[in-house]
Amino acid sequence: MSSDIERRELFKIAAATAYAAKFGVAQEQQRFFTPQEFVVVDELAEIIIPADDHSPGARAAGAAAYIDARLAESREADKKALWRKGVQLVNQVSLQMHGKTFLETAPAQRAAVVERMAQNEEEPKSPEEMFFKELKRATVNAYYTSKIGIHQEMEYKGNVMLNQFVGTELP
Amino acid sequence: MPAPTERDVDLKRTYDAVVVGSGAAGGMAAHVLTSHGMKVLLLEAGKKLDIEKELKSMEWPYEHPRRGGLPPDSHALSRNEYTFRKPPYAKGLPNKHVYSYVEGWSGADYSKNIVVDEKDNPYTGTNYAWVRARCLGGKTNIWGRLALRLSDYDFKAASRDGYGEDWPISYTDIAPYYDKVDLYLGIAGHPENLPYLPDSLFQRSTRLNTAEVKLRESLAGMGRVLTPYRAGVTTDGLKHNKYRSRCFGRGACDRHTGGCDIHAAFDSPTGLIYPAMDTGNLTLRTNSTVYEVLVDKNTGKARGVAFVDSQTGKNYEAKAKVVVLGASTLESARLMLLSKSRFHPNGIGNSSGHVGHNFCEHIMGPSVTGLVKELVGKPRTLDDGRPAGFYVPRFRNLADRQSNFIRGYGFEGDSGTHMFPGHASSTPGFGAAYKKKVRDYAGAFISMGAFGEVLPRYENYVDIDANVKDRWGIPVLRFHYHFGDNEKKMAADMADTAREMFVAAGIEIIGVDRDTLPEGWSIHELGTSRMGNDSKTSVLNQFQQSHDVPNLLVVDGSSHVNASCQNPTWTIMALCWRSCDHLADQVQKGEV
Ligand SMILES: Cc1cc2nc3c(=O)[nH]c(=O)nc-3n(C[C@H](O)[C@H](O)[C@H](O)COP(=O)(O)OP(=O)(O)OC[C@H]3O[C@@H](n4cnc5c(N)ncnc54)[C@H](O)[C@@H]3O)c2cc1C
Ligand code: SF4
Repeated sequence: MSSDIERRELFKIAAATAYAAKFGVAQEQQRFFTPQEFVVVDELAEIIIPADDHSPGARAAGAAAYIDARLAESREADKKALWRKGVQLVNQVSLQMHGKTFLETAPAQRAAVVERMAQNEEEPKSPEEMFFKELKRATVNAYYTSKIGIHQEMEYKGNVMLNQFVGTELP
Repeated sequence: MPAPTERDVDLKRTYDAVVVGSGAAGGMAAHVLTSHGMKVLLLEAGKKLDIEKELKSMEWPYEHPRRGGLPPDSHALSRNEYTFRKPPYAKGLPNKHVYSYVEGWSGADYSKNIVVDEKDNPYTGTNYAWVRARCLGGKTNIWGRLALRLSDYDFKAASRDGYGEDWPISYTDIAPYYDKVDLYLGIAGHPENLPYLPDSLFQRSTRLNTAEVKLRESLAGMGRVLTPYRAGVTTDGLKHNKYRSRCFGRGACDRHTGGCDIHAAFDSPTGLIYPAMDTGNLTLRTNSTVYEVLVDKNTGKARGVAFVDSQTGKNYEAKAKVVVLGASTLESARLMLLSKSRFHPNGIGNSSGHVGHNFCEHIMGPSVTGLVKELVGKPRTLDDGRPAGFYVPRFRNLADRQSNFIRGYGFEGDSGTHMFPGHASSTPGFGAAYKKKVRDYAGAFISMGAFGEVLPRYENYVDIDANVKDRWGIPVLRFHYHFGDNEKKMAADMADTAREMFVAAGIEIIGVDRDTLPEGWSIHELGTSRMGNDSKTSVLNQFQQSHDVPNLLVVDGSSHVNASCQNPTWTIMALCWRSCDHLADQVQKGEV
């Protein structure tokens, strides 16, 4: 029995590692998330802010690694628990909807899982809805403060020396 | 330009004046008194910081390990904590450091050594979000720089609506000193010729963007004004000050808590204190927390101050002919109440019993956010390359009384792109469509929030809580302070007019916030030692001199008779300049 669990665990780790290799996720940086959790969070972040024609997405911006580093040093037990539980919930929702864990499903099915968690974004009620809110907050924060987010995606023009202010001069 | 070298402190000698505190008030007192040739000792409770190393105004978020955020052992108090818990707020929290709410803003890691650790500096009583900075320059290192004048609509408000007291001065008394402050420190703005918000002697104004021009034009039709933010920033430079650069609109300026490391924005050290040190007349001692104004045992006049070295814990006395308090409104009140003696059993300068009372400030909270549709999807512009956005001056109760409350409020606002897209968290959804929406809408939002006058009331006050002491063993302040009915009615009106103005301008309403923020949020504490002609109902005369003790001055916001709705710092400095000129004149004539 126990060896069965071990085997299943091993399989999941192997799947996660293969997945990580495929997407170039840096494995050694994680400190809070387990390898499996990390890959789930990395995939969730990329679903929230994906790469598109305009710029790379949350994966390339290293959002999951940034979130991981903040959680690793955080002293907020509630927040840590929310994330641990949150990743489990993602798998639960996925099992319910598709009969497979999140990473085992196809991209469209993963998006459907996130869709479900996001359905009450304004007033989240269920635990998975609450987790989505935190997940999005953290992803947004990590992405739009990153090099990619600031320069490539938002094409931010400031933080330079200006000789004259930009805008309309009043008469 | 490096800071000037300091003179040795000589505690055996009697200085012409000792100034307590080095913020806007103390710095200005040091500047004016030394310019008159007086030998001044400036005592500051906090450290002297290597501010250029500290601030890093141009560091990108991703260059910082926590994107500008505080380390995990630190905690910034939240709006909820100020609402639902009671001070001392840091009590019982597990964190190593606890800071006021301003350290919850982005970029707080740059200012964590400027603001106080609430663990070391408790207070008690009613809920109050008290923001303090303890270092050379005090709160001026991180202030928002909105620099406004008051007018006779404020100084003579009591005569206009029958509430409270008039100030013992009128606009003509202070106008020349506002001019001096403008010229010495530099201020950017656009003249509007409004009797209720007099123009300064402005340097080059910042500019408005498309959304702001649109709102300005619409407001003009309603008889209201939107003007570029009047910033206590030198935009053309100051030939007489080698420590300050002109503003280069570098765009991270709205990260207030990051400060301005080239000192285009006014701060007291480079604007006032370093130049005063260069006169050779100023001696500075930091890490010096004053806990008592000492009096002559025969005359009851001030003879100096007692202070504790905040690093070593050793106690000292400094002797001076005149004591000038500029420790900030509430700290000066605390110091006066602590300074009890045979002559002054209720605290120095407190024969009226008014010290600590008539404490007032600004009420905040109501705000509006809107969308300017025609800007959606437009190419990226640079909108935050300036000290800040715009100001909508007061329009209520000016010509005649038209509302169910007295006095008024103004709005501070901003629009366009910022380094961080604040709307990203509140834009619903996820995925490619979401990402594009965040991008397309980035420059199209405009928002503004109100600052309203809180009426001075005798019942709103601070006193000493002898049972609770700060880290240095000094008894702390206890608050007895609540917003009243006038403020609540005013807040409702703020939300209504905010919406009305955006709607009239064709700006789509995204949200209107009607809730008020906790007491103290404006960081504009005023009153507590008000000026007046009657020594029974006021603490200071029109030159901020104690009615009881002529060689004691209180030159910070303590002296303000009402809060008006304009931000106070420029008025604090103009009044202080006037009082110190007067003091120097009296000293010369041998009158004090
Ligand atoms: C984030 C922020 C934004 C702001 N925005 C604006 C704005 O836009 N416009 C505006 O007009 N105002 C603004 N203010 C308020 C402005 O900073 C204050 O009005 C101004 O600094 C008051 O000057 P002060 O000298 O009275 O007090 P402070 O600047 O607080 O200086 C007081 C000094 O006294 C020292 N001190 C205290 N107690 C003692 C003691 N016992 N012994 C020795 N020294 C002592 C303190 O350490 C401090 O350095 C803002 C403030 C903050 C924090
Ligand atoms: S915009 Fe001007 S005032 Fe603001 S930080 Fe930059 S230089 Fe300083």
